Amino acid sequence: MNQAAISRLLVACGAALAAATVLAAEPIRIGISITQSPPGSVVQGTQVKDGVEIVKDMVNKAGGVLGRPIELVYEDDQGIPEKGRAAAEKLITVDKVVAITGAHQSSVCLAAIEVAKRYNIPYVNTNCWADAVRTKGYANVFSAPIYSSRVAESVAETLGKLGAKNIVAFAENTDYGIGQAKAIGAALAKMPGVTYRYETLDRAGKDFTPAILPLRANPPDAVLMAMLPPPAYTVINELYEQGVAPTAKTWLYDTSGLADYPDFWQNVKQGAVDMLNFALYHPAMKQPPLAAEVAEAYKQRTKNNPNRLIFQAADSLLFIVDAIKEAKSTDPAAMIAAMEKMKFTGTRGTFTISSTPGPTYHQMMDVPTVTYQITAVNQPIGQTTLLEGPGMPLDLAKLKRPAK
Amino acid sequence: MLSLNIDLLANGLIMGSFYALMAIGLTLIFGLLQIVNFAHGEFYMVGAYAYTLAALKLGLPAWAGLPVAFAVGALVGWLTERTLMRPLYAGYRSWGPMKDEYAIVVTFALSLLLINLVDKVIGPYAVLGPGLVDVARIPLGPVMLTGQKLIATIIAFSTIIATALFIRYSLWGRQIRAVAQNRLGASLAGIDTTKASSIIFALSGALAALSGGLLAPIINTTPDVGSFPAIKSYVIVVLGGMGSIPGSIAASLILGVLESFGAVYISYDYRDAFGLVILIVVLLVRPQGLFGEKGREV
Repeated sequence: MNQAAISRLLVACGAALAAATVLAAEPIRIGISITQSPPGSVVQGTQVKDGVEIVKDMVNKAGGVLGRPIELVYEDDQGIPEKGRAAAEKLITVDKVVAITGAHQSSVCLAAIEVAKRYNIPYVNTNCWADAVRTKGYANVFSAPIYSSRVAESVAETLGKLGAKNIVAFAENTDYGIGQAKAIGAALAKMPGVTYRYETLDRAGKDFTPAILPLRANPPDAVLMAMLPPPAYTVINELYEQGVAPTAKTWLYDTSGLADYPDFWQNVKQGAVDMLNFALYHPAMKQPPLAAEVAEAYKQRTKNNPNRLIFQAADSLLFIVDAIKEAKSTDPAAMIAAMEKMKFTGTRGTFTISSTPGPTYHQMMDVPTVTYQITAVNQPIGQTTLLEGPGMPLDLAKLKRPAK
Repeated sequence: MLSLNIDLLANGLIMGSFYALMAIGLTLIFGLLQIVNFAHGEFYMVGAYAYTLAALKLGLPAWAGLPVAFAVGALVGWLTERTLMRPLYAGYRSWGPMKDEYAIVVTFALSLLLINLVDKVIGPYAVLGPGLVDVARIPLGPVMLTGQKLIATIIAFSTIIATALFIRYSLWGRQIRAVAQNRLGASLAGIDTTKASSIIFALSGALAALSGGLLAPIINTTPDVGSFPAIKSYVIVVLGGMGSIPGSIAASLILGVLESFGAVYISYDYRDAFGLVILIVVLLVRPQGLFGEKGREV
């Protein structure tokens, strides 16, 4: 090799090294606050992590954003509001993230958005349904998931078509559970002749039989669930064991998308058969091509079928990435301004961002929803009876009433 | 109304029997060794997982999972005593003054270690153990029971009686009671006090784990499932009188029934507060607990 060739090789190596150093030294850091250890829902935290990791790999493989790779910085909020607040504080002040996302429990969101607001850092809510996250009207907070009053409208509409007049809800004692139960109450209040009450159950509780026993003597037309696992599983099992629901008299109606949790069938058996489900994902619903890509990556990664949390997490991170592209900057104020005006296409469809004050403030509008009925033990969601979906009105003719 | 009350009474007694099984192990350690064991709930959790995994992963019949849970719990209890508790009384005199602090810190650390270890190794997902019997509903008059609850209650009561007899009449049981009364005196009488402590920890772990195994088909098992039995057990041990097995049994049944009726006639929201309220009342009126003896100092 002559001297000129050696010089060219050295220059090329130097340039490659320099480029690699710049890429490694200047990633765009995005904070992910999730539950990685109890007492919060580690199951949800794991799924959110899977969803954002898939998108991070896709974005970095495609050359990053603004020529820089993205780096996810994780903090464990344990599902505890104070820890969520501390996580946000650390991500912003120590890790210097340009945005925060990932939170999946309303109580944590409500605590963390106070910190994000103080520093004016974009905060994208991944799975906090409570209306209160939106009604605060914080300019830096954007919401990817559905919201409680929208769930309530859908559930009330279905109950109306079912002819249910006497309705009881079991809600967990969290911002999500109580908020959901109240929102359903407000929606049902518009329907004449309907009586509704809800019972709050301790999320840390293990035996709910005393709350269920009074329903044996006076069974309602429908029992609604506004609870998350694992206590939700116990309630479903106990409702079945006590012969309260689902029965020919009483519908069991889950309003929180329980059936797509990976551990659902490990924990409930016969009690879930004939249960109606409000949910945000069904394999039969139409989705953009990006969803199939994310779903395939998730299956390869975990050997599980995807659920709504995977797509919500993916959309949360994609939304931030698109905002950086749109703003051509990682300046928080520029990103927030871009987010407000964006028409965003993610795994669940194309969304506009509402600026109307109230429960839809900075909400991705028209999140697709589905209603389906489970008809057998260990049934995959794809085989459940889809009663309602995007572009498909509620079809009660498909509904199966329990025999007794 | 009558049938609801009978239902509530039955449910309260069933839950009380489970509470008793959980609490007896703690009362042995707390009452007899005067050691605060914050990892007691995790003994329960280990038993619940041992029972469930023996059936689901090893393919053992559900019935075989109970002795597995009992043995694993005994092993964890014995190891805890051998590795972590021994410095408290095995000749390390300098540890004496900091006994309480040491026990609290080390068992709290053990609790966190076990929770996070299980979370990482087994995973965060909830799992329901296989039932001992596959009968969903057994109507007993106005009471509706599952086969699992009925069997678990029978086993729980049988184990409680067997434990009480063991402590009262067996040679090891008499040695344990002697150590509880006066460690130095027992030692002078030729009793191996260290061995007695090992037996107490192993028995405590085994009973909590058996309780976990019995409840695994009823209560979903997660890495943090132990917080529930731990809190209940502490209330029961203090309410019944520290070290008193009959006291723990009575307190467990009272707590179970009180929670059951209170949840319906007062509010489910305050269910966990009922135990604490009655605990405060009893401690004001009878500080040594329902069956405890007044402390004596010379």
